[in-house]
Amino acid sequence: MAAVIASRRARHGPSRREFVVLFVTGLLAFFAAWQALSMIGIVPRSFLPGPIDVLQTIVRLSYEKYSGDTLWRHLLASIGRFGMGFLLAAAVGIPLGLLMGWYRWLDDVVSPFFESLRFVAPIAWVPFAGLWFGTGIGGPILVIFSGAFPPCLINAYRGAKYVDRRLVEAAQTLGASGPRMVTDVLLPASLPSIVAGLRVGAGLGWQSLVGAELIVVASGVGYLMVQAQLNLNTPTVMAGMIAIGLVGVAIDLALRALENRINQNWGRES
Amino acid sequence: MSRIVYDRVNRTFQRGGESFEALNDVSFEVAEKEFVAIVGPSGCGKTTLLRMAAGLEFPTSGSVRVANRDVTEPGPDRAVVFQQFALFPWKSVDENIGFGLKCRGVKESERARIVARFVQLMGLTGYEKAYPHQLSGGMQQRVAIARSYALDPGVLLMDEPFGALDAQTRVVMQEELIRLSRLNPRTVLFITHSVEEAVYLADRVVVMTPRPGRIEEIIDVGSIRRAEGWEKLERIEEVMDQESFVHLRTKIWKLLRAYQEGVKEAMAH
Amino acid sequence: MARSTVIAGSSTAALDDVAPRVGRPQRARRTTSPSRRWYIGSIALAATIALWFVATAAGWVTGGRFPTPSDVWRAAMQISTDGGYGGGTLLQHIWQSCRLVLLGFAVAVATGVPLGLLMGSSRRADALVSPVFMLLRPIPPLAWIPLAILWLGLGDAAKIFVIWVAAFVPSVINTFTGVRSVDVTLQEAARVHGASRAVLLRDVMIPGALPMIFTGLRLSLQASWTTLVAAELVGAFTGLGKVLSVATLDIYPGMILFAMVWVGVLGALMTKSLAWLETRLLPWLR
Repeated sequence: MAAVIASRRARHGPSRREFVVLFVTGLLAFFAAWQALSMIGIVPRSFLPGPIDVLQTIVRLSYEKYSGDTLWRHLLASIGRFGMGFLLAAAVGIPLGLLMGWYRWLDDVVSPFFESLRFVAPIAWVPFAGLWFGTGIGGPILVIFSGAFPPCLINAYRGAKYVDRRLVEAAQTLGASGPRMVTDVLLPASLPSIVAGLRVGAGLGWQSLVGAELIVVASGVGYLMVQAQLNLNTPTVMAGMIAIGLVGVAIDLALRALENRINQNWGRES
Repeated sequence: MSRIVYDRVNRTFQRGGESFEALNDVSFEVAEKEFVAIVGPSGCGKTTLLRMAAGLEFPTSGSVRVANRDVTEPGPDRAVVFQQFALFPWKSVDENIGFGLKCRGVKESERARIVARFVQLMGLTGYEKAYPHQLSGGMQQRVAIARSYALDPGVLLMDEPFGALDAQTRVVMQEELIRLSRLNPRTVLFITHSVEEAVYLADRVVVMTPRPGRIEEIIDVGSIRRAEGWEKLERIEEVMDQESFVHLRTKIWKLLRAYQEGVKEAMAH
Repeated sequence: MARSTVIAGSSTAALDDVAPRVGRPQRARRTTSPSRRWYIGSIALAATIALWFVATAAGWVTGGRFPTPSDVWRAAMQISTDGGYGGGTLLQHIWQSCRLVLLGFAVAVATGVPLGLLMGSSRRADALVSPVFMLLRPIPPLAWIPLAILWLGLGDAAKIFVIWVAAFVPSVINTFTGVRSVDVTLQEAARVHGASRAVLLRDVMIPGALPMIFTGLRLSLQASWTTLVAAELVGAFTGLGKVLSVATLDIYPGMILFAMVWVGVLGALMTKSLAWLETRLLPWLR
């Protein structure tokens, strides 16, 4: 019997505890190696600040201004832009997607544009953004929009197009007209898909924002990082990177929570 | 030497803080070259029993032995035919059939010979280079059976192999399986929902209770089959027409029903 | 309109049979044939281009900051001939950008897929490597650009580094997911047949994961392009991104549009090649 149990464990991989131990080990090893590398001096410390240096920088930037403002106010500016661009993308993309899913002619007309523009990476809009809006807020919004719009549209579209036919047929037999079908049947039915699209769109939008902020703005975290780079201030650059990462995670978690909420209410398991 | 012995097998598992007993004190044997079918309601643990013999799952207590050795891992001596066929979608028909042989290190020429033999045996001629998705359900299951037979296993474990097929194909496959077992007898453990299938194919039928699964009764079919001469009849319909067949089938149904009634009663209160 | 950002397992009965034609709610409609879609699509596109010509000619849109057809033509001519624009001819810029993308992509795939395989098949490797992954993943690849420039300057190395950062992650994750999602029953079948761990990996896990690996490759390629253009926009000597940035400073919308079109076209070409490769390598997919 013992032989059976032993061979079974060998076959089926590490236990949960072992997994956690290895995980924590990996985590600590990373930080330790990072700190060690920065201290050893193969690379000058100014180029590879250790985790502690970066942490100190983040704290310092919380009350000290750099390139015009503290880290958190720069971050706020970035988030504000993101919010606007993202909301715009959702406000346009979701209704359009739903309508395209229902009205075939709309799909036929809009799709070719969408498909051809989709290939243009959001970042490629930065030059026009700069040309048309200078360092104004329109620029980043354009770029964020081009990143967040496709997933919002596509997911709304797919949600509407592939909705359970029986629901549609039931609604039709109950006398639902086109617009009512869209608002009362397709929209609720597509909600899970739409929220998933929002999550992907938010991720892409946030990434696109970073790109825009490296070039066409005069505030925000991206701008902060570029200024720091020009001044060879590595810790600040890293601080910016971490701040961006944290906000990205926060946005994603928030939307995930929303997604779970919706799936639960609709009786589907997340 | 391919006897399967289940000795006081228990299987309990935890889910969300509660323990569920899937199998309770199951003991029985499948003798050398015997064809045993297990029938029972969903969740009675019959698939678990088969997977234990395969080495894909293990009992919480008790033992499962094949050929007098504890089962510790899966292997080609105990071939498994899965309900969902489990053919490798990226391998052609003959690559699928030859997979076990390849694992064993059989030389290519020898492999090709064996594969060709089973292709012909299972009526797959002409489809050697086809991919699974190009075949119908029945054909795919033939490939799965050929793949298992190619291993020349001592034990054949079949987990509702015809469950995913439509009724007509199912009948054809049952006749084929009988034909194969007569040509190539080996120890078989066969799981099914269908009482008719079990009575038609098996030497003995194990009837199980719902969870926690226990053996309700083991019915001896083989002796009746021999006494009534079912093998002389060519088609399933003729066999199923026999009074002796109907009698056995009804008997088993009644056993299974008794538990359903029990459940209905319990739910009514 | 078929593809989406995530894998398309497209599927079930669409609404085509049930959704009404405009104005006739009761009649079930036949599906729009692909050729009809092409037809409508081309007409729509042609109409837009015509509109563009008309709008700029009639002066509805001022040509100062909006590209006009003649503007674009002038840009095309300028950059394709001897003097070039922004530091080189069109061909030179294209070569530079494509070269870097392919290099970065190749390195990312060569490192990412094996790592994904490792993490997918070994829970221990997964446990050890995941934390680093999870820490670094939220940082958008573009956010690495300033750091890369600080470390490696404005030359090729920095670009390849950033491309690697961007393309590495999708390769790893999709390979990992692909390996993990191989049908357990297939793995069991292989083990029943006596497959050793090596055979299991080679004959079951990898082929089973290939569709998702290719999805990862596709995402990696897209990420490579995006990142390269961004990196070149921030700072470069040559390349399509450089052209874009110079054109922006010169207020030369025609050149911007021209370069953008090339970015899109090259990206599409590469993606299609990858898709073609996929159909060749995966003959068993429907």
